Amino acid sequence: MSELDRTIHEPARLRILTILSGVDVSDFNFLFSTLGLTKGNLSSHMDKLEKAGYVEVRKSFNGRVPHTEFVITDAGRTALSDYWREIDAIRSLHGKGGD
Amino acid sequence: MRWARRYAKSRTISFLVQWVFIVLMVMAIGVAGSLTNIAYRYNNMALFSVSVIAMGMTIIALSWFSVSKWGGELIWRITQWLYGEEGYVSYLGDREDGPTPWWVTTLGGGLVVYHLFGAILVSFNYLHINNMQPYSAAYMVPFLGVMIVYQRLGFWAWIWPVLYGLHAVALLMGIGPTLRGQWQMLTMIISVFGCGLIAILVGHAYSRFALWKLKRLARSGLPDCPPAEDELP
Repeated sequence: MSELDRTIHEPARLRILTILSGVDVSDFNFLFSTLGLTKGNLSSHMDKLEKAGYVEVRKSFNGRVPHTEFVITDAGRTALSDYWREIDAIRSLHGKGGD
Repeated sequence: MRWARRYAKSRTISFLVQWVFIVLMVMAIGVAGSLTNIAYRYNNMALFSVSVIAMGMTIIALSWFSVSKWGGELIWRITQWLYGEEGYVSYLGDREDGPTPWWVTTLGGGLVVYHLFGAILVSFNYLHINNMQPYSAAYMVPFLGVMIVYQRLGFWAWIWPVLYGLHAVALLMGIGPTLRGQWQMLTMIISVFGCGLIAILVGHAYSRFALWKLKRLARSGLPDCPPAEDELP
C-alpha cells in the first residue's frame, strides 16, 4: 500500500479539490464563501495545490478588479481518485480486522 | 462534489437577466406589431410603414443582442454583480466553451422566423388566434429540449418546455387558461415567458438549497484550519 498523498490529506485542501472536481471552473470568491476559510489561508492552500500541479490558476481582470479562477488539472483528478482508492483500501483493512 | 455540480447547474440569475432583456424587447415588438395591425385595419399606410420598420428594427436589435459579444458581456457583468460575494462557478460537462455552433444559431433563427410566420398567419386569418400558443409550442418544446440537453442545464430547465407543452395541450382540449378579447394574443406571450420565469425561479430556489448543503458539507469539521503539523516551519 502506497503512502497517502500529503498534499491532499489535509481537510481544507481535500475539500477544495473535491469541490473543483465537481465543476469546470470556480473563482476565489466562491471557494472563499463556501469553505469559510480566511483569504490568507485559502490563498496558501491554493498555492500548495498549484505547486503540486493539481490546480491551474487563471488570473484576469474584470475592468480594474483582479479575478482569479481555478481549474482542477488532470493530475489533480488522478491524485484525488488515487487518494480515495487508498482510503478505501485502509477502510477495507479496518473491516478485515473485525474491529 | 455532487452538490457543487448541482449548484453550478442551477445558477439561474444569468437566465433571469436575459429574461428581463428579452421580455422588454418582445414588449417593444408587441407594441409595434399591434400598431401594424391597427394601421393595416384602418388603411393608414404612414403608420403601417413606421410600425413595420420599428418592429423590424426591434427584431434586429433582439437578434443582435442575443448573438453579440457585447450582449453576452453585459449579461455577464450584471449577473456577477447580482451574485456578488457568492462568487463564480460553472459546469459545462464535456461541452466545449467556444463560439455558438451553427446549428444552434440556425435553430434560434428558425424560432424567430417560425413565430413571425405564425403572426402573419394570424394577421391574415389563416390561423385562429386561439391556436397560436399550440402552434408556438410545436416548435418551442422540442427547441427548448434540445437547448437544455446542449447546455447541460439542471432539472429545473425542463419545467419550461413541460409547462408550455401542457398549456398547449390544455388549450387544444379547450380547457387551458386563456385571455379573451383584445388580449387573446397575449396568451402565448404570457405562457412562454411565464413558464420560463417559473423554471428560472425554481432553479434559483434549488441553487439556494444546493449551496446551503454544499456549505454545510464543506464546513463540517473545518474550522479556519491552521497548517498541518508537517507544514509548520
